[in-house]
Amino acid sequence: MTTNKLTVSHAPFWHDGDSLFQMNLNILLALLPAAIFGIIQFGAPALGVVALSISTAMLWELIMNLMSKKPLTVGDLDSAVIGMIFGIMLPATAPFWLVVVGTFVAVVIGKMIFGGIGANPFNPALIGMSFLMLSWRVMFDFDAAYVNYDFGFTALAPLAALKFQGAAAVADLFPTGDLIMGKQVGAIGSTFGLGIILGGIYLILRGYIRWEISISFILGIIVTAFCFNMANPQVYGGPVIHLFSGYTLLGAFFLATENSSSPVNIIPMFIYGFSAAAMIILMRNIGVYEDGTVLAILLLNLVSPLVDNIRPKALGKAGNNA
Amino acid sequence: MIKRSFFSLNQPRLFYDLVEPDLKEPESIPLPASLSVLLSEEIDSTKQALIKKGDAVKKGEKLRLYDDSTAYTTSPVAGTINLFDTYSDDFGKIATFIVIKPDPNPSEADTIKLDTIEDIGFADQFLRKLPGSPPFEVLANDRIKISTIVITCADTDLLSTTNQFVGLMYTDEIKAGAKILKAMTRIPKICITIPEALRTRVNFDSIQVIETGNSYPSTLPAMIMKDHLNIVLPAGQTPEDKGVCFIRAEALVSLARVYKTKESVFDKILTLIGKDGTRHRVRATIGTPLSKIFSRFNIHVNEQDRIIIGGPMRGFATFTVHHPVLADMDTVIIQDRDIIPQLSDYPCINCGNCIRICPVNIPVNLLVRYLEANQYEEAADRFDLESCIECGLCAYVCTARIPLYQYIRLGKHELLTLRADA
Repeated sequence: MTTNKLTVSHAPFWHDGDSLFQMNLNILLALLPAAIFGIIQFGAPALGVVALSISTAMLWELIMNLMSKKPLTVGDLDSAVIGMIFGIMLPATAPFWLVVVGTFVAVVIGKMIFGGIGANPFNPALIGMSFLMLSWRVMFDFDAAYVNYDFGFTALAPLAALKFQGAAAVADLFPTGDLIMGKQVGAIGSTFGLGIILGGIYLILRGYIRWEISISFILGIIVTAFCFNMANPQVYGGPVIHLFSGYTLLGAFFLATENSSSPVNIIPMFIYGFSAAAMIILMRNIGVYEDGTVLAILLLNLVSPLVDNIRPKALGKAGNNA
Repeated sequence: MIKRSFFSLNQPRLFYDLVEPDLKEPESIPLPASLSVLLSEEIDSTKQALIKKGDAVKKGEKLRLYDDSTAYTTSPVAGTINLFDTYSDDFGKIATFIVIKPDPNPSEADTIKLDTIEDIGFADQFLRKLPGSPPFEVLANDRIKISTIVITCADTDLLSTTNQFVGLMYTDEIKAGAKILKAMTRIPKICITIPEALRTRVNFDSIQVIETGNSYPSTLPAMIMKDHLNIVLPAGQTPEDKGVCFIRAEALVSLARVYKTKESVFDKILTLIGKDGTRHRVRATIGTPLSKIFSRFNIHVNEQDRIIIGGPMRGFATFTVHHPVLADMDTVIIQDRDIIPQLSDYPCINCGNCIRICPVNIPVNLLVRYLEANQYEEAADRFDLESCIECGLCAYVCTARIPLYQYIRLGKHELLTLRADA
């Protein structure tokens, strides 16, 4: 009994059992309904894109780990989440080099060079996505991407149609039920609204994403789109089409809520979510892009540290904070 | 160990344990073959020590290292000094431990009789090391103005029920002790904390009762002051700075016994929680090695197990099974190595769990970045390092498993060192 070495460490001696691996595993799980639906809808090419995206994202992190002689961090699945989100934001017809370049930018430039997990000022998947969108914009023309597909529904990308034809012209083309149930043209994982919402609600209930951001984001879309729609119903679409098309729902539950690039205090979370959503509608209605989700969230990532200064005063602290 | 629930929209709430409904007398541990007591003074090899190996000591005798020492300890038994050497705690604070071999047949004359007077100076002179560790040093200090004394019958850490047990079991002695304390200190306001659920089981007569909630960390000193005394503890100050002194219920029980028997007492009550969660209520002489208590209950401590002194959130882990019973030791927990949670050296991922759970609104996510970079002044000025009430909840919920509480305690410690050097 005398020679036994005891474990000595600092309090607390309990932990709630959560870990990064658990968190990321749950996020992957929550993304599955949307991803699987996309794969069924768009076939084997979609599976190829998602699989390649996840695997290359993890591979880039592994290479960076080895190159920088740091402990291997691939096992925490953070890159897998980036790869998954990135993959399902691509059209199913994306060529392999686009995926590889995109995950390189996402993982290496978006995350690893800032110091890895937790240090990225922007959502890595969005960094990769915005890089591709600016470099090869034609690849993200969903109407052109699916020209060889034969769908049983309106084979028009809703947001592009909305932008170039006006709300009045597309009013009957996209019934809300179709949009929610995935009968629309779009990226692999962005079409099945119901699946994304279920995944998002699961994550909120499990406490892995911050509900304040998602709720205020959706509220921001509804309020801003409603205002535009009221001002000119002929040109600007209503809240429903904005909410259930493009990357909006992915943005609400998976993109804007990325831990490291979003605020953590209550009021800032509401400001952040609402402004990101308002920015999206502004970009869609006034800007040149059909879907401004990627750039709008990146823009608010930039503002996040600033708004996060609005925080309650700590116990016994006099004077001003921040 | 309490795990995260499957659905955790809200942050987990941890609840204090309540003492068992039928109280039994604690199990007495026989006097061991050797005892060790701690003396909070460093050995200075340039000076001639007052004690040496082989010295005979009486029960209750004051032991000091040097003539000019203010720190002292008292021998819990009559016997001989076997050894004294340096001990360092988890923050590297140096103390001295003295090993005493009890005399197998002590006579009446080996016990020092105290000429008890109700004076705080007397108490500070002779009674500092009573079981329950009464803060007489603070109370006797003229420069610290104490206006409120809070007796704690509510345990501050999870799992621990020792204070509640003492509160319910020895109510009369607490009342007697409070009277003596009042006469000594002439402090008019004495309150007592007790968990709400136990309020009806106990009657403290004229002592003002503070009913505490059942969720952690509502019984920590800063929270009691904020919720019940309407005193907000300023960042970086101790309750004593604001005139509030916390004292364990057991210290009052000891005080009452000393004035009744005219000799010092050394029986400490503690709760031992085994690997399977069973509680043993123990009465042991101060200085008894923990290994003696473990063998009494056939608890086997294996390689890489953890012995926690204090509670699971705020206690400390000892490196030896021979750690002695101390005057302020309420709970001893043995944790099997299989359930010891792993920590990591991951950076903060900004998930916000700590922000949601922090009872005093500290921006832990930002604070830890500064602490990791050793920016202690900055951490204190801008990110409320000193507001921390040390509940450990941030580290409990940390998804990245960062030892946040350790960083914070180290930060506070380093900050004090920095300021002392400046």
